[in-house]
This record gives sequence, structure tokens and C-alpha cells, in this order.
Amino acid sequence: MQRHVTEMNENKNVADFQMRDELITTLKNRFTTYGYKQVRTSTFEHYDMYSNIIGTVNKDDMIKVIDPTGKVLVLRPDVTIPITRITAANHNSNTFNQRLFYVLDVFRQSAAFPNQKESTQAGVEFFGENTPEVDSEVIMLAIHTLGDMGFENFKIEIGHAGFFKELIQQAALTEQELELLQTLIQSKNLAEIELFLENMPIENELKLAIQSIPMLYGEPGSVIEQAEKIIRNSKMQSVLRNLIDVYEVLQDYGAEDYVVFNLGLINNMNYYTGIIFQGFVDKFGQPVLMGGRYDNLGQQFETEMPAIGFAFEVDYLLQAIQQQDLAEPDSQAVDIIIYYMKEKQKEALTTAYELRNQNYQVLTFSKDSSSIKPLSSITIVNYDEEQNVVSTKGRQHRFSDTKDILSLLKETKGDL
Amino acid sequence: MQPITLALAKGRPAKSTIALLEKTGIHFHDFHEKSRKLVFYNDDQSIKLIFVKAIDVPTYVEKGAADIGIVGKDNILESQADVYELLDLKLGKCKFAVAGKDDQILEQNRQLTIATKYPTIAKKHFEKKGQSIEIVKLNGSVELAPLIGLADYIVDIVETGSTLKENGLSVMEDIENISTRLIVNKASFATKSAEVQHLINQLKSALE
Repeated sequence: MQRHVTEMNENKNVADFQMRDELITTLKNRFTTYGYKQVRTSTFEHYDMYSNIIGTVNKDDMIKVIDPTGKVLVLRPDVTIPITRITAANHNSNTFNQRLFYVLDVFRQSAAFPNQKESTQAGVEFFGENTPEVDSEVIMLAIHTLGDMGFENFKIEIGHAGFFKELIQQAALTEQELELLQTLIQSKNLAEIELFLENMPIENELKLAIQSIPMLYGEPGSVIEQAEKIIRNSKMQSVLRNLIDVYEVLQDYGAEDYVVFNLGLINNMNYYTGIIFQGFVDKFGQPVLMGGRYDNLGQQFETEMPAIGFAFEVDYLLQAIQQQDLAEPDSQAVDIIIYYMKEKQKEALTTAYELRNQNYQVLTFSKDSSSIKPLSSITIVNYDEEQNVVSTKGRQHRFSDTKDILSLLKETKGDL
Repeated sequence: MQPITLALAKGRPAKSTIALLEKTGIHFHDFHEKSRKLVFYNDDQSIKLIFVKAIDVPTYVEKGAADIGIVGKDNILESQADVYELLDLKLGKCKFAVAGKDDQILEQNRQLTIATKYPTIAKKHFEKKGQSIEIVKLNGSVELAPLIGLADYIVDIVETGSTLKENGLSVMEDIENISTRLIVNKASFATKSAEVQHLINQLKSALE
């Protein structure tokens, strides 16, 4: 028989899955407390929708499927675009706010990483308003959620899609040159940026401004101060004003320890129009979350609809949590185990049913037929021939029916 | 405070980097060349130095096992690690180049066979030119390949060119300049910003 080694599926056992499930529950609970409602989009999307929107997912990266009528479909390569489409379709007034969240798999393929075709994203989208209050609330949600997961040392890097765009427009570069420059700025490669600019027909002051972009990084106050020096027009001024406004609200959330500015932040998703941000946790070299404001995406679906959102990479979060040992030790235990003699089967199974109704985890074992060694448990219930005994937390009691067990469990609830 | 972990490539680059660090006032007392130890601390324990194979330095930094790495550009390019490349230490200068037999010129209208230790760099370079190639990955004595007909050309590091010359080869095309670079893990740059930037500034001033 051929052996299948599934390198694609990282979560190999039950314990890993439990951990993942707990993480997703944590995310969902936090999203919900900020008023977000869960939605789902179809796994299959139209290829045309993605190929018509400029600057999203690379066409080669999408996994295509052909349906019986010959239409080309793709496995959902991104969630923001379909959610925007759905929201735009249902949109019928100008005064609305919609907070949506999702936990969905996205599918992409690349020659460089043939084993990573699917990943899980947990994200939120806020439709309807463009204000610093909205932006900072969304960023605060990201910070709040990272705190929930137990990360101590993490940072949200905040930048703005417009800052670099405005600056670079004045330089008149070709598409290839721009691409190269963006890569250099993304890797903060100061030495090569200087070399690259050296022979370009760009005025000196602009060169210096471009060179300073990667190091416009760190404590917001000082970044703002430095950025003001390279402002060249009113658009850049208003971009900076926007960043300051958002940061002021974040300060009122008490979030300043978790925020740095990074004006060299460039997102490869081209649809962003305003604030963009990404989150890093200690010792993990990839951003665990990315997001930003994308006010013009709605226009692709004939709707004016300001929007901001972000998504966590669930698989990255899991890796980081495992790496930093933040996961609670997995408990194999259940709440209650019932052992019973065959003669008392009816009684025991009724008790099990009633306890499960009260949301206890219950396992039952027949002493006569089951040979499996059971798991550990805090509470053990024995149905023997002559007596019924329940023992929990060092106490033992005889009992006659389920009520007795429940009252004992209630009594000992606080004990260790 | 947690120490900053600095990954260094074993060998020549390590020696000159440590000399540079000494210049900035960062001393590693128990370090000496013959030592087989792989981990060293500086005097006030603020920097933890680890020695790894050059090609692995970018991986250590990308994965966060080290906050900072000091390594040749050749290894950064080949590993394609997603890291910040903040400083050119201007040590160990050389270049990547395409070389072939002295009497050859670089052909363009057929598929070429390229022997190299650096398949990623070779592939990227010819892709950019729109030239289709086949790669023969070798682990040493690459200069031999064109001589015995294993490949048409080689892609390799060229320092002085004397190895090429002695084997009857010469440079046909430069690909990229190489020197020792300082790379930083993206998360460390965010979460240990002050410590990382302090070290970089120290090195910068030592370079001037």
C-alpha cells in the first residue's frame, strides 16, 4: 500500500485540534464583544470577479476549478472581496454601519511553497464609516484579542497606504523600478535604496525623502516629528493628520504600549486607501495579522462604502502560541466517570443522561464487559451490587439518585 | 531584560565582525578563535552570540531563533528570507557573476545549462532576462563544470577572479554585488525596537 504523508495538514492530532478550536473560540468571543456578527462566504468564487479587481490576488496563485458549464471558478483566495460584494449587494441606505467577522479557510498556491495551499483566516470587516474613532476601535480590537491569547510582547505597526504613494508619484518611476523600490523599502534595505536612487533622474530633496521612509519607524511622536520634515504637499499633510487623529484615540484606549508607527509599511494588496497595519508577536518573523482601510473596494460593486478590516492568520497564531508555550496543558480528563455492574445498567445510564443534561462531560463503563482503561477524572461514580458511591475531591458519599450527586458536586464546587 | 541574540556565520566573517563589535565597546571575553563553543555572552550579558553555518544565518533570523544576523548577501539572496536588511558592513566584498570559457560569449537563443551552488540566484537572474536555463546544482569545484562539458556556464561568487583565470574561465556578466550585511527579524524589530536600534547605531558609528 502506498503511504500518504500529508505535509499540508499541520494539525495532526486531537490535542492540536483542541488547541486550534480553543483559539478560534477566544477570537470569536472577543470579536462578538465588539458587536461583530459572524458570516460565511462561499468556498467557490467566480474567477472573473477576482481577475477584474486590480491589485488583489495574483492570478497564478489562485486555485481554479471548471464547473460543468465551462465557467472558471476559484477556491476562495481571500475573504474581504466576497464579503464586500455581499455587503454591497444588500446595501440600501447611506446611514448604516455593519460589523462582520469570519473564520474561514483561504486557498492559494505558489511554486515556492507547494505544501501551503490552505490557511485559516479569522478576520473582521467594518462597513459604513471612515472616522479615526472607527479606525482605532478596529485596531484596539486586534490589540485586545492578542492580549486574550496570552502574548505579552506584541506590537501593532501602523502605517498609511497614501504616504508612500503620494511621495513616489512625484518621482515618475516605471512599473519595474517601482516594484524594486517597494521591495527594498519593505526590507528596509537602506544601502541598496541609496544605490538605486543614485542614478535616477530625481531631485535631491525627494531622494532624501524616499531614503528616510524605511526609518520612519517607532514611537509615534518621534515618527510624526520626522515625517513632518519630508512632507511635500497637502495630501501628505492630511495623511499624517489622519495618523495623528487615530493615535490620539488609541491613547484614550490606553493602547500606546502596543503601537508603533511604520511609514515604510507597504501592503501588497493594492486596494488599501488609508490606515494600514500589521501585528507582530515576539520571536515570530511573520505578521500574525494584517489589515487596513479600503474605501474604494465598494465602487467595484457599484456602491460607495467606506470600510476597514483585518484578519488573523490562525495557523501563524498557533505556531507562535506553541513556540511560546502559551497553550494551557491539554486535559485528557472528563468531569465524571461512571462505573457500573450490569444489573444496575438502567440506573447508571439514566444518571449519565441526567448529568449530561446539566452539561457535565460523562463517560460510562460497564465493569463486566469493558476492558479499556479509562481516563482520569475528578469525580468517580460507582454502581456496585450492594451500594452506590460517588467520590470527589477526597470525599466519598453513598447516594440514591442523580439529585444526590448534583448536590454533592455543587457543595464541593469551590474545593480543590 | 532578555539578551539580544546575534547569529554570526562561522569563519572569516565572524572574525572581522567581532573585531568591529570590539571597536564599539562590546567585548566577548571568553571568545577565541580555536574555541569549539557555539554560544558566547558579552560582558554585561546583553548580547548572546551564536555561531551557525553561514547559509543558515538567514533562517535563524527569519524564524526568530536569532534577533539579528550578520552574514554575506549571497546567503541572504539564496535563502530568500523575509527579513529586514538594515546595514551594509562593507566587509567581504565580492560579486555574483556568470562565467564561461575564455573563448566564449554568452549565448542567448537556446536553452543554457548553468552549474552553480546557488540555484535560486541563477534562476532569478536568467528569468529576469527571459532566458530559459537548466540548472545543475553542485556543491563545490563549480569551475570544473564548463571544462568537462557538464554545463555551458557557471554562476558563482567572484572575488579576485584568480580561480576563474587559472581554470581558463572569465566573467561574462555581473549579477549582483555582495558584502556582509546585518539582517533583523521583523518581529524583533517591532518588539525589541530600542535594543535592536541601539546595537545598529553602535555598529554604524564604528563603521564611520
